[in-house]
Amino acid sequence: MRVAGAGLLAAAIAMMLSAVVSVVDGGGGATGLTVSALLTGLVGLALFFGSQVSPTADSALAFASVAWSWLAVSLAGSLPFVLTGVISWGQFDNALFESISGFTCSGSTILSNFESVPQGVLFYRSLTQWLGGMGLVVLAVAVLPALGIGGLDLIASEAPGPTADRLTLRVRDTARQLWLLYGVMTGIVALVLLTIGMSIFDAVTHAFTTVSTGGFSPHAESIAYFDSFPIELVLMVGMLFSGASFSIHWHALRQGIGAYRRVSEVRWYLTLICCAFGMLVWVNLGELGWLQNLRESLFYAVSLGTSTGFGNSDFVLWMPAAHLVLLVLMLVGGMSGSTAGGMKVLRLQVVFKYAFRELMRARHPNSVIPIRLGRTTIEEQIAAKVVGFVMLYLGLIVVGGVILSGLGVDLVTAFSGSASALGNVGPALGEAGPTSNFLVFPRIGRVILMSLMAFGRLELFPAMLMLVASIRGLSQIRRRRDRAQSG
Amino acid sequence: MTPRSPVRGAGSALVRRLTLWIRHVSIELQRHVTHGRFESAIGVTVGAVWLGITPLFLLCALVDYFDGGPDAAALLLSGAVIAFAGVVALWLSEFPSALPLKRLFAALVCGVLAALVAATAAHFLTGVAPTIDSSLAEGAATITGTNSSTVNPEQLSLGMLLFRAFGQWLASAGLIVVLVRIAPHLGVGGLDADGGVSTRSARRLAPKSGSTMVRLLLLYVSLTVVLLVAYSLAGMPFVDSVVHCLTTVSSGGFSSRSGSIGAFNSGAIEWVAIVGMLIAGTSLPLIFRAFRRGDLHRFARSVEFRTYICLVVTAVFAALAWSGNWPKADDVRETVFAVASAVSTTGFVVRDLNSISYGAEAVLLVLMVIGGMSASVAGGFTVMRLMVVSRYIGRELRRSIHPATVEKIHLGKSSIGEVALARIIGELFLSAAVILPLALVLSSDGLNFEAAFSFAISALSNVGFAFGLNGPEEHLRTLGTLGHLAAASLMLVGRISVTPLLVTLGGLGEPMQRDIRRWRLARHEKAVR
Repeated sequence: MRVAGAGLLAAAIAMMLSAVVSVVDGGGGATGLTVSALLTGLVGLALFFGSQVSPTADSALAFASVAWSWLAVSLAGSLPFVLTGVISWGQFDNALFESISGFTCSGSTILSNFESVPQGVLFYRSLTQWLGGMGLVVLAVAVLPALGIGGLDLIASEAPGPTADRLTLRVRDTARQLWLLYGVMTGIVALVLLTIGMSIFDAVTHAFTTVSTGGFSPHAESIAYFDSFPIELVLMVGMLFSGASFSIHWHALRQGIGAYRRVSEVRWYLTLICCAFGMLVWVNLGELGWLQNLRESLFYAVSLGTSTGFGNSDFVLWMPAAHLVLLVLMLVGGMSGSTAGGMKVLRLQVVFKYAFRELMRARHPNSVIPIRLGRTTIEEQIAAKVVGFVMLYLGLIVVGGVILSGLGVDLVTAFSGSASALGNVGPALGEAGPTSNFLVFPRIGRVILMSLMAFGRLELFPAMLMLVASIRGLSQIRRRRDRAQSG
Repeated sequence: MTPRSPVRGAGSALVRRLTLWIRHVSIELQRHVTHGRFESAIGVTVGAVWLGITPLFLLCALVDYFDGGPDAAALLLSGAVIAFAGVVALWLSEFPSALPLKRLFAALVCGVLAALVAATAAHFLTGVAPTIDSSLAEGAATITGTNSSTVNPEQLSLGMLLFRAFGQWLASAGLIVVLVRIAPHLGVGGLDADGGVSTRSARRLAPKSGSTMVRLLLLYVSLTVVLLVAYSLAGMPFVDSVVHCLTTVSSGGFSSRSGSIGAFNSGAIEWVAIVGMLIAGTSLPLIFRAFRRGDLHRFARSVEFRTYICLVVTAVFAALAWSGNWPKADDVRETVFAVASAVSTTGFVVRDLNSISYGAEAVLLVLMVIGGMSASVAGGFTVMRLMVVSRYIGRELRRSIHPATVEKIHLGKSSIGEVALARIIGELFLSAAVILPLALVLSSDGLNFEAAFSFAISALSNVGFAFGLNGPEEHLRTLGTLGHLAAASLMLVGRISVTPLLVTLGGLGEPMQRDIRRWRLARHEKAVR
């Protein structure tokens, strides 16, 4: 409750700031944003001061608190969309979709007419992603590795960074350091964008959604609106930075650039993006002009490889083979310990080495072959967690894809939409490409996508265990009540 | 004197080396021919496969001759060449006294490749497939039991029609032999002796694997005969019944009509095919045990069979529910047919799959991936492995809350060993690693994204039909040379699993690996000095 309260207070501040932007712009929406801020703030205050952190919190409870807080913030975050009239009350689910897409840094949108949306709401929309990224950077670097979710304790194996050993003691210090880094990076990106010709509003909103790898843009055409290579270059650098582990950035700040070279995940991350770029260029050869091919292929390799989802063209018109490359990028996502979504490069490494080991073992059945990441040997139990996570991840994509197809969506849109939502990417293939929106999915389909976005952001296991822990908590309360009655 | 150019020098050195190598090989060959044979499991396997397949060539040539078809001479010629090659291979080689695991892998792969060569030769020499690549794809479809073809079956001669159907049937019979005699030693994808579950039931049938194999082969033959009678009784012409009983029981899927089973337009025939396909996807040891003592409760007691039937029922309901219309009797039958065809990886079709809903397409695609039961002749990942993987995910989920928990995975009353688990998962990931680049090749060779991906899955599971094009069987016809090669590779990988292929390929590169290791060691020693 306390964590949820803190989250709601942060969301209220974001709404207030957006109200200020609305007032300055004069485009309307200030009242709706202020009312939302007040409502959210009041609930947040009540939750924050009306509860305390349990000293005996176990991991299941910690999972549940993280997951419920995210949901509470997303629910409150949908208020500005309906109170400003951008989305009607009758379509509250669409507002919730936009909010969840924001706080999970996905970037999928149901908005179509961006010109009619007040600047304050567009600013708020970008801010939700920035806030989501802020929560995520702590969650990904400190909380989840400490809880050992899906083998994320591996992050510390190659670059022992600011991970929290005990959730209650060190997480505050860790969060401060990470937020400082996050904030400074946002400032730098915004300043550079401003210098190369973006308006202050565009520069700030794009900086928010670049550093959080969210991908929302205040323009329907996304980055294609600017048609400027320097802007794309700056965004690509920002995306590459944010798609890499913040734990390693923290190290690099202290030990110099060599810190990046020592981590095998960084090598894999960059190699994957380079390979995807090369393949996209090869596949699009003859379809696009040379310079256009290089520019668009590089941008999409970085944008989808970091699960940001910005677009500088319509990749749906590319060759089918290019779609396959993009789908793989969507599946893998960025590095662990970053704000990027997807399965994570680290897990891809482990799975690759696991499969290779089994191949070697088939040849030499009595051999003992450890799985190594760089020079570190991985414990079997951690490898099992990673493998379990990856299979659950792929299984959820299939389940999501089948349900969406059942609702009448074509196979390509359904399965890529499912992969995109679970990987928190944003655009999908087929009818839900970068120039389209998610209204192509039916209403129930969007609810499925919302769940997938939340599952993906919370690294699946917490979201799954949220239900388990909640049921357990309810039964504990019931038992206590029974005991009190009998006593 | 003018100095000799370095290029010319290098060229003559190459010629000298080549001459030396040829001389060395011929001396070795001469020595073996005069003094003894090569100790080679590969040679024996390849020879046995070629010699074993020769009667099929002769039979089909005879049938074609009496039918007045054009392919008798070509079939006879290709059969003679294959038989001669088989005799030479067997004459030159003998079974080794000791057989390391890597050689066993290589023998298995080479045996399959030998069958591929024979089937390709038949298609190419008879002119059924005009190019080598399309012949290769046809050959791969024949020996892997995949209903994917570039030719119209109604234009084939009777000899070739039977050759293809018998080819699929023999390939599945070979699979039973591999399952009982070889797979327990290889341990591929959890099919190992210690903790593997797929062959466990097969191994318990009889004290000796030889008698187990004979029993299963007898069951296979009996099922074929029963299906032949059933098809004939349902009103199918005799030749069509022969072709379809062979390709139903083997989960192959080749048909004598261009419209597959749908061409007969008969509900009775479709129901016979449905039952036949479902049987083809069921574990053969389970059927044997259940029918030997008349104990049909064995089916109900088998957790894998229950899951298999549950999958079929759920898929039928889902496909019907998502069709958008209130289903009629014909719709129900056609849906059950499509589901049975996908889950048993047979690949028969009764109607144009473009008219089914997107939801049904997705369900069929998932069923193709899953495939039939373990120890059956169906392809796919198998129901048993799916169950193991889902239990594994559940265990890891529970371990997130209680990290110190020690939990074994059970299937029914038997527990699955960790080694078998790792192999199953390894196989899954390796298959995923293989399917992606090959799907990329398919999509760059003329298929759209949906067609490329669904056909890659279909070929890997040895099904045949796919989505995204005008017809369910158009995919192989649309592809070019590169696509044919990719499709053939996918079919082969699907039939013999990815591990044996990669292990054998790794073996080919072993001398190079050894050289690299030596070079590294030398470099390291130099650095230390």
